Amino acid sequence: MHGQIRCRRLNAVQHALTNAMHLLLVEDDPELARQTTIWLSEAGHSCTWREKGGAALIALGTEAFDAVILDVGLPDMDGFTVVEQMRARGFGLPVLFLTARDNVTDRVRGLKAGGDDYVTKPFAVEELMARLEALQRRSGITPATSARTLGKWTLDPIKRRLRHENESVELQPREWMLLEVLLANEGRILTKKFLLEKVWDIRFDPGTNVVDAMICRLRRKIDAPGVPSHLQTVRGKGYVLQAVS
Amino acid sequence: MFSKLFPERLPSTWRLGLLLAVLMACSTALCITVAGWAMKQNLSSIARAVVLDDLGEYAVLYNRNGLKEIKDVFAAGGHENDQAVRITSSDGRVLFEQIPAAVAGYRWPDNAAANLQPSQTLLITVEHDRREQQLLAGCQVLKDGNILWFGRTDAEDRAYVEHIRDDLWLAGLVSTVFMLLPLWWFVRHVLRPVQDMMKSTHKLAEGSTDARLVAPDAVPELQAFASAFNAGLDRIDALTSELQSANDNLAHELRTPLARIRGNLEIHHDHSENAVARDAAARGMEEIDRAADLVQTILTTRAGEHKALKLHLESIDLGELLTDLHELYKAAADERGLQFTLQAPESRFVLLDRQRMNQAVANLLDNAFAYTPHGGAVTLELATTDDHTRILVRDTGPGLSATDLTKVWQRFTRGSAASANTPGMGLGLSLVRAIATAHGCQTGCRNRDEGGAEFWIDLPAGDLLNAQPPSSHPAIMQ
Repeated sequence: MHGQIRCRRLNAVQHALTNAMHLLLVEDDPELARQTTIWLSEAGHSCTWREKGGAALIALGTEAFDAVILDVGLPDMDGFTVVEQMRARGFGLPVLFLTARDNVTDRVRGLKAGGDDYVTKPFAVEELMARLEALQRRSGITPATSARTLGKWTLDPIKRRLRHENESVELQPREWMLLEVLLANEGRILTKKFLLEKVWDIRFDPGTNVVDAMICRLRRKIDAPGVPSHLQTVRGKGYVLQAVS
Repeated sequence: MFSKLFPERLPSTWRLGLLLAVLMACSTALCITVAGWAMKQNLSSIARAVVLDDLGEYAVLYNRNGLKEIKDVFAAGGHENDQAVRITSSDGRVLFEQIPAAVAGYRWPDNAAANLQPSQTLLITVEHDRREQQLLAGCQVLKDGNILWFGRTDAEDRAYVEHIRDDLWLAGLVSTVFMLLPLWWFVRHVLRPVQDMMKSTHKLAEGSTDARLVAPDAVPELQAFASAFNAGLDRIDALTSELQSANDNLAHELRTPLARIRGNLEIHHDHSENAVARDAAARGMEEIDRAADLVQTILTTRAGEHKALKLHLESIDLGELLTDLHELYKAAADERGLQFTLQAPESRFVLLDRQRMNQAVANLLDNAFAYTPHGGAVTLELATTDDHTRILVRDTGPGLSATDLTKVWQRFTRGSAASANTPGMGLGLSLVRAIATAHGCQTGCRNRDEGGAEFWIDLPAGDLLNAQPPSSHPAIMQ
């Protein structure tokens, strides 16, 4: 089956920072492709779906895309080869790998081939979206605009502290990084996996609830007593920061 | 049989060379001794014949014409200068004497001929006081009762023997040089190939799986050995890559369906207004994440145990790695009321897979955190000496039972102190050991005297410890 699903923009743009993207989805598993298409359309993006690497390369020549979501294990050629051929033909658009293989060697190979980021199956929709938008920002489609205020606090990135009139809260370097990652994806649920990778560069899940503990500590520092927290935990999904609660 | 003859570290080229040289020297010396003895025997019988012959001739001359004839013969000249002739009367008075300088100084026996009958001869060997040469003297009673003496020294025979001996030594030396040809052959076709093979096996031991035994100039037996060995290595390589691809495929086959289920749960979660349904979906997603991790852990453990784990080696500062982990776990330690300290005094650059080693140490910490009760202490330490690096995790938990000490590194083994609330499936420490094994590291554990357990990873003293310059390309070791 040569599947092609055109997603219409069903919803209005959900995220204030997100510009709608037109994506090329290359995935040989129809069920995963169907789900991904739904998520992309719910996030306000549109996509073209191709099942094979060869067909994807043809589609690249006929349509203009903002980014590519590329499965590594494709029936005709692997995703690494697709990227190499894409780059050889002069397509510079960002590529996000989707893969069932989880090891550094493959990740390095993917990045060397010309890929930009890497999502391991099974993945959370939030992770996919956060990474896609990070790619979008990196490639200059949307300028980075992370909030410089958080509730009553004003952020001082040089001294890594939060200020409000005479009060000030100092943050540890990692706490600051965590806050920055959360702010850069404000309003989006971020998975534990995503935070571990972006803040600590760790690509495995520690058995101890290290992220929970860190979030709690940050929450104690930024939240005012009596008001709902800026930093919410969403069961089964992750953590979300609202700059204005 | 000769192994005890040589110092232990003497290379076999020297052993064989020395052995050959000694054997050649012995056999040459034996040849020369035997040949010298045989020549002496021959020469002395020839000398006796010469003396008897000449004695006879002089006796004939004397008997024919008396002393005058003898004198005439000598007056004519042409007499050899290592031969002496004398004629004495029966009472020992010297009647005639012709003794050249080379034969002078011998004491001729006086009464030797006393009992001789006429025309009977007697041969006597006479020693010299100072010279080595001997005089072979013969005497015969002449017709008139006087006695004819004839003497001859063995100087010429000795010179001859000396000459032959020198030639034999030269021949021995030349044949020794020829005997060294087998040594050259041995070095070129046996010893050097063996040394090359040894280098290859060292490379293999260091983890380079593509090293093979190469012996183009070797003897057929060594070539057969090398090809059999290489065939074995190829087989191991094939099995290893098969295991790796089987792992990759299994991961793929399990992860893709998990991804499909998770995706649907996620959609269900996001579109359901019912709190109970949302909670169920959330729990489902958590379980799927756990299952995916479990699959990955089992595959990593299996690959590590069989040295089939793909490592992405980089030059890493161990001190920094531990500092980062300490920072990551600090908040969780505070939350659990644990005192968590780091003792990593210096930076130590080593070549390893950062993510994997991170995971191994994190697992040791997970383990310590799970078993240490509220109020306890966990210590993460980097202990280094010049040639030894050890990563230590200490806790003040219940410690290990005797069975734990031996079994704790095995898969699906949980410590005897584990309770229903202790998280994990007993895979953490087996993963630590697998990652350590893949890096060539050793793991260990013991109960501390002060109470609690201590787990460690020992890094090998060899190549992994040599800090690579940060600019070097990361090697991918399979």
